[in-house]
Amino acid sequence: MGDSAYSFSLTTFSRTGKLLQIEYALMAVQQGKTSLGIKATNGVVIVTEKKLPSVLIDSDEVSKISLVTPSTGFVYSGLGPDYRVLARKSRKQAQAYYNIYREVQPVGQLVRDTAGVMQEYTQRGGVRPFGVSLLVAGYDDDGPQLYQVDPSGAYFGWKATAIGKNFVNAKNFLEKRFSEEAELDDAVHTALLTMREGFEGEMTEKNIEDRKFRILSEQEGKDFLDEAN
Amino acid sequence: MSILEYNGAAILAMTGKNCVGICSDSRLGNQAQTVATDFEKIFKMGDKLMVGLPGLATDVITMKELLTFRLNLYRLREEREIKPETFSALMSHILYQKRFGPYFVEPIVAGLKEDNTPFISAFDLIGAPVVTDDFVVGGTCTNNLYGMCESFYRPDMDKDELFETMAQCLLTSVDRDALSGWGGVVHIITPEGIMSKTLKGRQD
Amino acid sequence: MASPMCVGTSILDTGARKAPAAGPAEAQAGVPGMFGLPNVANPAAFCSANLGCGYGTDHAQDIKFAKGTTTLAFKFQGGIIVSVDSRSTMGPYIASGTVKKVIEINPYLLGTMAGGAADCSFWERNLGIQCRMYELRNKERISVAAASKLLSNTMSQYRGYGLSMGTMVAGWDKTGPQLYYCDDDGTRLHGNLFSVGSGSTYAYGVLDTHYKYDMTDEEAIELGKRAIYHATHRDAYSGSINNVYIVKPTGWVKVHAGDVNDMHYKLAEEKAAIAASRAGAEEKAP
Repeated sequence: MGDSAYSFSLTTFSRTGKLLQIEYALMAVQQGKTSLGIKATNGVVIVTEKKLPSVLIDSDEVSKISLVTPSTGFVYSGLGPDYRVLARKSRKQAQAYYNIYREVQPVGQLVRDTAGVMQEYTQRGGVRPFGVSLLVAGYDDDGPQLYQVDPSGAYFGWKATAIGKNFVNAKNFLEKRFSEEAELDDAVHTALLTMREGFEGEMTEKNIEDRKFRILSEQEGKDFLDEAN
Repeated sequence: MSILEYNGAAILAMTGKNCVGICSDSRLGNQAQTVATDFEKIFKMGDKLMVGLPGLATDVITMKELLTFRLNLYRLREEREIKPETFSALMSHILYQKRFGPYFVEPIVAGLKEDNTPFISAFDLIGAPVVTDDFVVGGTCTNNLYGMCESFYRPDMDKDELFETMAQCLLTSVDRDALSGWGGVVHIITPEGIMSKTLKGRQD
Repeated sequence: MASPMCVGTSILDTGARKAPAAGPAEAQAGVPGMFGLPNVANPAAFCSANLGCGYGTDHAQDIKFAKGTTTLAFKFQGGIIVSVDSRSTMGPYIASGTVKKVIEINPYLLGTMAGGAADCSFWERNLGIQCRMYELRNKERISVAAASKLLSNTMSQYRGYGLSMGTMVAGWDKTGPQLYYCDDDGTRLHGNLFSVGSGSTYAYGVLDTHYKYDMTDEEAIELGKRAIYHATHRDAYSGSINNVYIVKPTGWVKVHAGDVNDMHYKLAEEKAAIAASRAGAEEKAP
């Protein structure tokens, strides 16, 4: 990489000191389906919208949340294919870590490494930034953790946050509803309430996906939804 | 003669109750010639973690530097101390990375886990790990050390009993080995800290 | 059954095989042929390849022998001092720390042992026999020159068979105190000062620094002890007990047997005391 005469960086500073490609990538994220995460006392919930453009699509074959280590999961807003590339790299990184230390890679480490990859794609030649923001939820020796990683490679730790379409409203809603003492069940409830605020159309067990290190079955999702509705 | 026997060494790690010990002889030789009698072969890798490196002296030093380097990076990246189990895994990885041009050392790891229970492990020069709950030995008189440890080890010794047992096992073993001895050092790792004592040994 | 080209465990079961009929008297006195030789085309090459016993030569060999190590002897005004260590090693393993490396051939002759322990003790006992035979035949004691020549003749006869022996023959005869060095390749040297074994270089270092012909018996004995102590400290294959003999016109006398480790700490104490008194003197001086 980087040895071709044309492989210069596409992400160059504008005269106003901005990296426009990154801002465009962020716009792609903001057009993506909403995802949100809430930290509870005993875990983390991440939820994303799984509304599909056609009833003909088999929703069972769509999975937006992925497990990276046995105790860390990713969800995204933005471009699905870009996300899969990131998830693949992060899973590989987590396995490399395990191979060296025989220990599950801590969430913070994984976030840092993933953010490193995303940063690299803002500077390297012949590539474009990732059109996704990630929510990383995990549990390790330091307890439950929730992170957001942006296309620029910047990352933040949150108690609760939202990304994608309507993220501003969702965050406002979370600010009002968030509780430090909430346990997982309450957090799932709050998460679904927040999702419904900005949801266009009806929320069903088929078009909501969330995971606390495991994807809830449709039945579990339905139970929570019934509560939220 | 094996290159692992070029400089001579005897290292032993043993478990006790909420304590663990690691000890070594002090000789640095050039085959038959005793060059120094204050050569360090055990290194501190954390508040409750030590590593012993029996083998070729040049690789003992290189390995110590390399481990220190990896550990410093680990601390900066992870902002925490490494666990003995994790350090053991890292050791195995580092050694196997040189599968076809190994470091001529057979490391021994001794430390206290987070709950202050002892952890000891030993490796061959390409990283095959051996984790036991009683004792591990390494160096040029492993036969002698095994014989002594099999006879004198008891489970759940306190730190003073552990020191005495280890010191006797080491000194008696090296007295029947031409390539190790000339004094020794014992480190007993306890939750409160590391107690280190030098042993006066035979000087021939 | 092991093939003739490799040494099997059968060579170890000495008791199981029928003893050969005793040969003629000459054979008892060490003429080659008294030993069973391996049934191979070149017995000498086979023996030195598989049954060699020298320092560093048997590391790759299946059979490792016990070896002896630092020995020294020197002539001085009062006679001859013979001083040795007592460590025997098989590879890095210390097989014994109580080996008698001075072999008392007869009341006027001493031999030292370096190299293969078995070779030394066997051939020097054999030398004892030959010296006694000489005495009976000639009604007078054998000279040191002749005794050492008997040993070196034996070594010459077995040259190339992988024997390992470096010995000093010391004694007092009609010509006064005499000292010879003999080894497995047939070398025989007459001299005033020798040291043999893996620790010999260290012993030479001490001897060459402090040796004077005009020493008293006490000084000479102390030098013999010191040289062995320093050798045992530096050499991995020397150690344990230091045995010292002095050869006088009336025959040899054993004058010392002590642990070199005790000597080490005694010398360290003396050194510290001297350093302390010197430091004290310097403080007073200005």
